[in-house]
Amino acid sequence: MADKDPIRIGILFSETGVTSTIGLSQLHGAMLAVDEINDAGGINGRELQPVQHDPASNPARYAELAERLIHQDGVNVIFGCYMSSSRKAVIPIIEKWNKLLFYPTLYEGFEYSANVIYTGAAPNQNSVQLAEFITSNFGARVYLIGSDYIYPYESNRIMGELVLQRQGSEKLAERYVPLDAKERDFAEIMADIRNKRPDFIFSTVVGDSTAALYRAYADAGFDPKSMPIASLTTSEAEISQMDRGLATGHYTSAPYFQSIDSEANRRCLTNLRRRFGDCSVPNLCWEASYFQMHIFANAMRQAGEDDITQLMPFILGSEFDAPQGRVKIDPTNHHTCLYPRIGRVNADGQFTIVRQARRSVYPDPYLVTHSLGDWAARLDTLEC
Amino acid sequence: MVERVEHRSPLRATPQQLKELRTLNVAVVHPDDADGRLLTQQLQRIGCKVQAFWPPVQSIPKDVDVAFVAVRPDILNLNMDWAHCEDAPTVIAVVNYENPTIVEVVLGLGAKAVLPSPVRSFGLLSTLVLARESHKENRSLQRRLRKVEAKLLGVRHIAEAKVVLMKTHNVSETEAYDMIREQAMSKRTTTEEVAKAIFEAHELLSMGHRS
Repeated sequence: MADKDPIRIGILFSETGVTSTIGLSQLHGAMLAVDEINDAGGINGRELQPVQHDPASNPARYAELAERLIHQDGVNVIFGCYMSSSRKAVIPIIEKWNKLLFYPTLYEGFEYSANVIYTGAAPNQNSVQLAEFITSNFGARVYLIGSDYIYPYESNRIMGELVLQRQGSEKLAERYVPLDAKERDFAEIMADIRNKRPDFIFSTVVGDSTAALYRAYADAGFDPKSMPIASLTTSEAEISQMDRGLATGHYTSAPYFQSIDSEANRRCLTNLRRRFGDCSVPNLCWEASYFQMHIFANAMRQAGEDDITQLMPFILGSEFDAPQGRVKIDPTNHHTCLYPRIGRVNADGQFTIVRQARRSVYPDPYLVTHSLGDWAARLDTLEC
Repeated sequence: MVERVEHRSPLRATPQQLKELRTLNVAVVHPDDADGRLLTQQLQRIGCKVQAFWPPVQSIPKDVDVAFVAVRPDILNLNMDWAHCEDAPTVIAVVNYENPTIVEVVLGLGAKAVLPSPVRSFGLLSTLVLARESHKENRSLQRRLRKVEAKLLGVRHIAEAKVVLMKTHNVSETEAYDMIREQAMSKRTTTEEVAKAIFEAHELLSMGHRS
């Protein structure tokens, strides 16, 4: 091929602001994959050249920088976004100029854009499994706490409905805290929890305030053995911001944990350490950010162009041996077939995987009513 | 920290209109073009059962709950009577013009919502749920109205029958009503039916003797 020009790609992850811990890890995931791709000869001999900007956890900045990536930096494909508000800010721009966005984050579902590939979990790939596991092991009286934005609202609706399918279930409260909540914002909630004595706490608190929630829980003297916090968003990254042992015994449902015992995962983690040292904290969003870059690169090798029209047919239906297992982009809804897992935080701040899916679970982003006992949600027991 | 009012009720339940989405039978009366395909695919993502019809049909299967209909210049003269029958589906018009001619057809179809062309996947779910809700509410109001009208007519019949009985049998109003009720019980019918029969019989017998 005559064309040896580098291929510019846009990278939009927050390196500063309330969601910067996850943002940085997603950036590392993307950059690691870019390095691997370039080390292996790039895309048919063309180098991938990332152009990165820091939207600072601010949706308006995301929109401005997406425009800038398209118009000044001349990119056709953007990798980025974490909170739904950032994705919603970028989508109109992506759609207006018919560009492509890869979104490596779990979110609340009910979206499809022909210009977006979603590589994080939809609720049928994490919430159902978490509800099944927690309610059968701890009981079905739940206390819901979330950050004050759309993802927690919708996740709590789903969790509330799932839990209420159990006998003796009760939704004791649904509470929201600001995105920048500090430990004192949780004080009154902890007092309420002491009164209401739930079987478990479901947390959709995100970002830096996650550490404050677990600190407030520990300070209240609660015991995860009898009343754990169950979460979709507390990953290795959030745990790394906490004092040692603070999250031990609590549960998270995610398609990826650093502790996954697979060749692909070990290889990827070794590469990451070599490239970034110990400053990078791999987690579910890091992994999605990593594998989606490879999915893009593989499609690009076949298409030869990074224009969405040429690229999309090679992305849809494509598969990749990701650290979590072999993932596949679903051609009908642009989301990804993933492997739900339940992890319990151990003393090292890592997850001991207690349940995991044998086969990947098909994404169903428009599912309104989730059911417990769904065969697709059944997981294999690894540890009790 | 600013004191916040808890804005979400602790017993937030998912509305029925959303729960029923996966059971809906949807007809897409639309050509097989970019809009038609986008519409069908998005409905399938939402989880509805979708059937496409084109060219436009004279009737639509009985089990269809919602019909998306392409309202365009070439269907203006077609017979769309199915949209007006008693248990017609919820109609959502897909339009590419909004001149008075087209809007008139949309009104004529009794559409509960409009989707502008080019169709986007975003917004379809909300449109579907709202149109469905408004159609259901409309239908149940209409049913209630019909019941109330029937009830009102019945009350009028009873009043008239009582007057007839009071005059012809020389009884009080209470006694007249008791007579109607006894008849109704022995004939296993409603007081309204008996009253109607009494009044009509009286009308018939007193033909030509009216004052």
